[in-house]
Amino acid sequence: MELEDIFFSTSEYVQTHTGNKVSRQSTLCGSQNIILNGKNIIMGESMIRGDLANVRMGQYCILSKQSVIRPPFKKFAKGVAFFPLHVGDHVFIGENSVVNAAVVGSYVYIGKNCVIGRRCILKDCCMIADNTVLPPETVVSPFTVYSGSPGHCIEELPEAMQDLMIDYTKSFYQHYIPDKDASGVNQLSIASRK
Amino acid sequence: MDDGSFRQSQRLKTVVTDFNFTKAVQKNAAMTKIFVYHVSSMQDLKRLKAKIANGAIVCCECELQGDITIGSRTVIHPRAKIIALLGPIIIGENNIIEEQVQIINNGEDAMVIGNNNVFEVDCRVESKKIGDNNIVESKAFVGRQTSLSNGCVIGAKCEVLVHETLQEGSLFYGSGPDVKRRVQSDKPSAQGAQIEFLSKVLPNYHRIRKPLV
Repeated sequence: MELEDIFFSTSEYVQTHTGNKVSRQSTLCGSQNIILNGKNIIMGESMIRGDLANVRMGQYCILSKQSVIRPPFKKFAKGVAFFPLHVGDHVFIGENSVVNAAVVGSYVYIGKNCVIGRRCILKDCCMIADNTVLPPETVVSPFTVYSGSPGHCIEELPEAMQDLMIDYTKSFYQHYIPDKDASGVNQLSIASRK
Repeated sequence: MDDGSFRQSQRLKTVVTDFNFTKAVQKNAAMTKIFVYHVSSMQDLKRLKAKIANGAIVCCECELQGDITIGSRTVIHPRAKIIALLGPIIIGENNIIEEQVQIINNGEDAMVIGNNNVFEVDCRVESKKIGDNNIVESKAFVGRQTSLSNGCVIGAKCEVLVHETLQEGSLFYGSGPDVKRRVQSDKPSAQGAQIEFLSKVLPNYHRIRKPLV
């Protein structure tokens, strides 16, 4: 199934040479500690807290509106430390979700209004349903769907999850395009894509 | 009154014919009126500015509205919203208020928040009175009728709207229609180390509001 085109205004978004589409309305704290590996979409009002620790995101990661990515902290005998947060490739994070995980693998789908607790580990190819609350230090194994509060495994995913997520994030990226009635440059890019 | 007429009134002051003199006096009176008005609006501005104690870390990117007092060593992350619509909001010491938190006072009474509380990402608090050592987790909601005593924990995504002052050590968990509650005996651990870390790190990356007492 082909996704519908989603248009964004060219004045709102910055496009980097690696293909990241980053909204000006988003808040990227400590941008020197944030690595976006290309072809990511960061939508408006979302936040990445790079000031607390390093955040590394792979390719084709989609961060929806009002979501927050913040490195988790852990208390030690002397003081606290914030851990770096790694997000793999082809990850979708839904609106209003708060991600406090230590690791998010590749091909992961996180729904809307989720709370991913501190230092959770989301392995590759897993899915977090909408409105899920994962307690701190949960490990989500591959090919499982977690749901509820506190989140628990409700079902398993098909083996094609990797391909499904690649298709989904790639086509989302390709259909997330500048506004139609913008300048000629964007018209060209639309034409060349077709 | 525009600039031109002001200059005119100045010139009229120097020409002392009877008629012009009275005109000038009238105009000067108008000027003083404007001046008085400006001063009163300046005072309003000062009143609306938050009072921030020494040692508090308040990022410039957060939204403070109305009469707000913030105690020392309290950390307010960027994008937090503290809105005092009618009554004031008084926040004590050693609190952590994370991003997208909404603390709203929409009543006329003062809203008092004690010490050592943690408000996690995207929670919403309208409670009139919050004691010490409480934790409000992500996306939780505490309504106007609910007051927190000490050592209470409101779990992630819990909506608490009960018409009471919560017992010490109350714990809310679960979400949606089946929010459960119990009382825990041990206090939530102190966040001193985190505050220390944040007050070292945040000034490196954000503009911090100057203390204003």
